[in-house]
Amino acid sequence: MDSRFQKDCMELLVEETGKGRIGRRDFVKAMSALLAVPLVLRSKMAYSAADRLVICNWGGDAIKAYAEAFGKAFTEATGIPVRIDGAGPTEGAIQAQYESGNVTWDVVDADAFTSLTLGRKGMMEPIDYSIVDKAAVREGGAHEYGAASYFFSYVLAYDTEAYGDNPPKSWADFFDAEAFPGKRTMYKWMVGNLEAALIADGVKPEELYPLDVDRAFEKLKAFLPHVVSFWGSGAASQQLLMEGEAQMGLVWNTRAMVMERDTEGRIAFAFDGGLLNASSWAVIKGNPAGPKTAMEFIASAQDPEQQVTLLKLLGNGPANPAAAALVPDELKKYDCTQPDNVAVQHMLDAEWYADNYGATLDKFLTLISS
Amino acid sequence: MEWCLFVAPLPLFLALVYALPLLGVVGWSLTDPEPGFGNYQKIFTDPAILGIFWRTLRLCLIVSLVSLALAYLIAYHWVFGPPLRQRLIEICVLIPFWISVLIRAFGWIIVLRNRGLVNGWLTDLGLISEPLSMVRNEFGVVIGMVHFMAPYAIFPLVATMRQIDPRVMSAARGLGAGPVRRFVEVFFPLSMPGVIGAFFIVFIFSLGFFITPAILGGGRVVMVAEYVFLQMSQTANWGLGAALSVVLLALVTVLIWVLLKITRVEKLVN
Repeated sequence: MDSRFQKDCMELLVEETGKGRIGRRDFVKAMSALLAVPLVLRSKMAYSAADRLVICNWGGDAIKAYAEAFGKAFTEATGIPVRIDGAGPTEGAIQAQYESGNVTWDVVDADAFTSLTLGRKGMMEPIDYSIVDKAAVREGGAHEYGAASYFFSYVLAYDTEAYGDNPPKSWADFFDAEAFPGKRTMYKWMVGNLEAALIADGVKPEELYPLDVDRAFEKLKAFLPHVVSFWGSGAASQQLLMEGEAQMGLVWNTRAMVMERDTEGRIAFAFDGGLLNASSWAVIKGNPAGPKTAMEFIASAQDPEQQVTLLKLLGNGPANPAAAALVPDELKKYDCTQPDNVAVQHMLDAEWYADNYGATLDKFLTLISS
Repeated sequence: MEWCLFVAPLPLFLALVYALPLLGVVGWSLTDPEPGFGNYQKIFTDPAILGIFWRTLRLCLIVSLVSLALAYLIAYHWVFGPPLRQRLIEICVLIPFWISVLIRAFGWIIVLRNRGLVNGWLTDLGLISEPLSMVRNEFGVVIGMVHFMAPYAIFPLVATMRQIDPRVMSAARGLGAGPVRRFVEVFFPLSMPGVIGAFFIVFIFSLGFFITPAILGGGRVVMVAEYVFLQMSQTANWGLGAALSVVLLALVTVLIWVLLKITRVEKLVN
């Protein structure tokens, strides 16, 4: 996995700002929440001495321009210059940095299981929970090599015009093309698909892991004719549903929220059966600023208010449980980490993905392209 | 021997920026995750990888044949058609040739998708009641690839056809051969170097296709290039990715060697 979701947040933010829905000031706020730099500014922590801090995220020119401004301010506050690298911390890229012995990123934003996979290969620093507050990370988000920065969910979105009074409510409905005719779209990079297929096939959510891959593949194989396209980017998933190419989709909740708003409810979604996943801050071994500074940075990014700002603008669920109470009422239905919403969703098992992702993805791609 | 001084840096430069990294890739393929030929063994025994290879070869073959047929027709009219037609073909071949592959792929999506232009017209004309699936599958990938590759087939064909001596055709006519016989027995054999060259060029180019299948295939038409990318970037499986690249490179090298053996390349780029 290469943090496609994290990249999508950036794209979404730029799109929304372009449409004028997000003001310049909020754009700066959201970017800062994603990059968490101003938190460092506000917090009163004592920082270890470091020449600079490099945060790798999922770039674009706009980000670099703003990052420069934050970087300058941060330097004034702490004496540590910050550089934002928008190159994209793919699993391959992180491994390349580690193996070349020339690590230039201090903190990266990756999927929980990516940090686990690389951590087990000995390439990541274990998260120092004496600096990072484990209690400020929602259950399922704190791992040995990664601490959640925010949560997101794979949800069922559908076209209300296609289903009228009888909307699909579960993954069973999603996989039932007779009762719910229409084309579907699913995620090309597999995550969430197997769980949805197994739940639809009658597996109890609490008994999902370890995933019965063969059973999931059987279910998917029979269903393939109904899948018009496997989306590879959030924008593609949105396009497919908005333009009526697909009537139902397994999509990210952040994109589902935007679609619901943009279509004034024509595209709807619910968290029922949603598959929760965490995005993690992680630190590459041998990072130039040293592990301590990186850990302090992660700790500073746990500020609940800033996490709520991110939810307001993009729909990313706060990783800090303390943030739930700060969420305005009208936004609660979009927050995948609200207690009511968590109760009806299922957490993805990062451990399973760390062990099995690569090999299973190979087979999955063979299956869907046969 | 003074010229040696000026030419010497070139091989050195090539060795540095090309041969060395290539050796590195070969090295990965033999050492990661453990020393030996495990990655190559996997490529030739794993049904999933073989499947992707076969799909790639099959699609490349289809694309090459379709491109060739289209290109032959277009090249013929470009060379022998009336001036206005020649100009028109020139414009229609060259302009898309310079347009980004990404834009062309999305263009085809708009044209071919279920609620796209073509399905819209066919439905309005009452020819179909259900939309045809023309994109987000292999069919769409072939269309996109042919659109991209056709010019690469047209250019060598045009070059070859221009070199055919018109007097040979006149002689055939003088000896009483009809138009069909003149084409089958005289013109076509004389254009064979162009046909072979065009076929190889399209086939070799097609092997490395990545963006077009990724977009027009609806996520379902994974070809070797995308699979290599996956191993390198998604699952950090470098040894396998490197081995796949080496196999692909070997295949291309063999194809180019065959091409050089059976035809004179400089004639194709006239």
